[in-house]
Amino acid sequence: MLNTIACFKWVMDEADIKSDPKTRQLIYERVGYKISDYDRNAIEEAVRLQEEHGGSVVAVTVAPSGARQCLKDALSRGPGKACFINDPTFTGLEPGQTASILAAAISKMEYDLIICGEGSSDLYAQQVGPALAEKLGIPCATYVNKLTYVAEENKIVAERKLDDGIEAVSIQLPALVTVLPEINTPRIPSLKQVLGAAKKPVEDIGLDSLAGTFSPCLKTTGVLAAVMERRRLRYGTGEEDIRKVVEALLREGVIA
Amino acid sequence: MAEIWIFAESREQTLELLNAGRSLAGELGAQVVAFALESGLAQEYASHGADEVLVLPPLAGDQPLEAYVPVIAEEAGRVRPDIFLIGGAQRGKEMAARIAARLDTGLCSGCTGLRLDENKQLVMERMLFGGAAVQTVVCAARPQMAAVPPRTFEPAVPQAGREAKVRELPPVSVSPVTVVKRTPKVRETVDITEAKVVVCVGRGVEKKEDIGLAEELARVLGGEVGCSRPVAEELQWLPEDVYIGISGKKVKPELYVGVGVAGQIQHVTGMRDSKVVLAINRDENAPIFDAADYGIVGDLYDAVPKLVKELKNALKI
Repeated sequence: MLNTIACFKWVMDEADIKSDPKTRQLIYERVGYKISDYDRNAIEEAVRLQEEHGGSVVAVTVAPSGARQCLKDALSRGPGKACFINDPTFTGLEPGQTASILAAAISKMEYDLIICGEGSSDLYAQQVGPALAEKLGIPCATYVNKLTYVAEENKIVAERKLDDGIEAVSIQLPALVTVLPEINTPRIPSLKQVLGAAKKPVEDIGLDSLAGTFSPCLKTTGVLAAVMERRRLRYGTGEEDIRKVVEALLREGVIA
Repeated sequence: MAEIWIFAESREQTLELLNAGRSLAGELGAQVVAFALESGLAQEYASHGADEVLVLPPLAGDQPLEAYVPVIAEEAGRVRPDIFLIGGAQRGKEMAARIAARLDTGLCSGCTGLRLDENKQLVMERMLFGGAAVQTVVCAARPQMAAVPPRTFEPAVPQAGREAKVRELPPVSVSPVTVVKRTPKVRETVDITEAKVVVCVGRGVEKKEDIGLAEELARVLGGEVGCSRPVAEELQWLPEDVYIGISGKKVKPELYVGVGVAGQIQHVTGMRDSKVVLAINRDENAPIFDAADYGIVGDLYDAVPKLVKELKNALKI
């Protein structure tokens, strides 16, 4: 039996974000939201372990109160329950705040393992997982691409994929891991799962029931669209066009 | 006196951060303090700009590098340096996040630029939304922490006659995370970040054998073959050492050629600093064309052989 918490973040779909080329301001109109890409791998891994070893999966998120639709999406992916840690002020949180809020809520829950994604697709700060482990005082392993639960010893063996090779680590539970996207292929929820998600239990956790203050340390002083000055010239595949491209590359002095 | 601290998992990254730290120290009138993983590096760090070197004790064989987190956080909590720069390769990113959590301070991870504002506050720059935007942040707490990816700064230049105070740190407590096996990566022969020309294979390439087309193009251009993340991780057609993107390699070649690369922002972030970009894709709406100087709209199976032929003529190969 393995009781797992899978953390997820509800983020803006970066593909929908436009920018004003003159002012470099980002335009968030008509932006869709999604479960952060790698958090789908976190949820999938938790569900996979439950299928293999039994136990439970709880999906946990910190979000503004208006983001309730994220719960159905998360629950359709297999967790038995969701915890919606929400407050209207939970927008634009910095990673340290998110980790502290999660820690305040999770410290009152029973769990063996916490799984987070490698990083979120909006900030990609890659901080919440390891910072949450520190706040809870439990060990962690990051960049995990293979995870094995050893029931008889109540431990996990996690293979970390690092720049210089694979490092397999053994950790007694409770522990936290952050997973890479290649650890699994998240299943697409079936219609039955989507419909069933609405009936699953959701625990609402408000700011007033959390111990601690969660003030920010960082202040964002600016967000501007990244600029890329490119010529953006278009050609076809005709021989004349290909010749023009090669001539241009020679003129640029990048081939010789 | 204000202090700027530096920790990185490798000598190269430490020298890069010493360069960044030294220039901030000049403006702030601060001391630079660097951690060293062995005492043999202390003199080198001193001559490259450290005023003090903190030598970490050796770890037991089954301990990961991250076992240093408690001792580093304890030292930093005692001294509360003004600035703490950490080498943001993988282990460094985890360690920075954990140290910041222990110190209850903010951390700018993936930090690509550092400067001081008029109040001598550290202004840190990072990418948002997979590289679509640049965010600048300042930190009200101390230390002001940044995890800086490798190769963001040039390494510091040594100066003759520089000396540093050297202090040995106490042994570290045993980490509950124990290493049971290490499988070093077999070093691939090429370092794609060093290549003058990079030909990048994307999902538009239909079969593994067709990578030969890109290889032929790379050979004619005197370059190396790289790929987008799914080609390495999902399809496993090319080694993971050569995938380009926000979570992979960042390349800055003279010429980048995208062959069937769609140009998702996460990929573009890894190649945006290329001098000249050529993209070949049959979808005229592919985002790669916005990131390209020269775009060939058409079937890569048609365009690449023609391009190879024309290049051979032009370069007299």
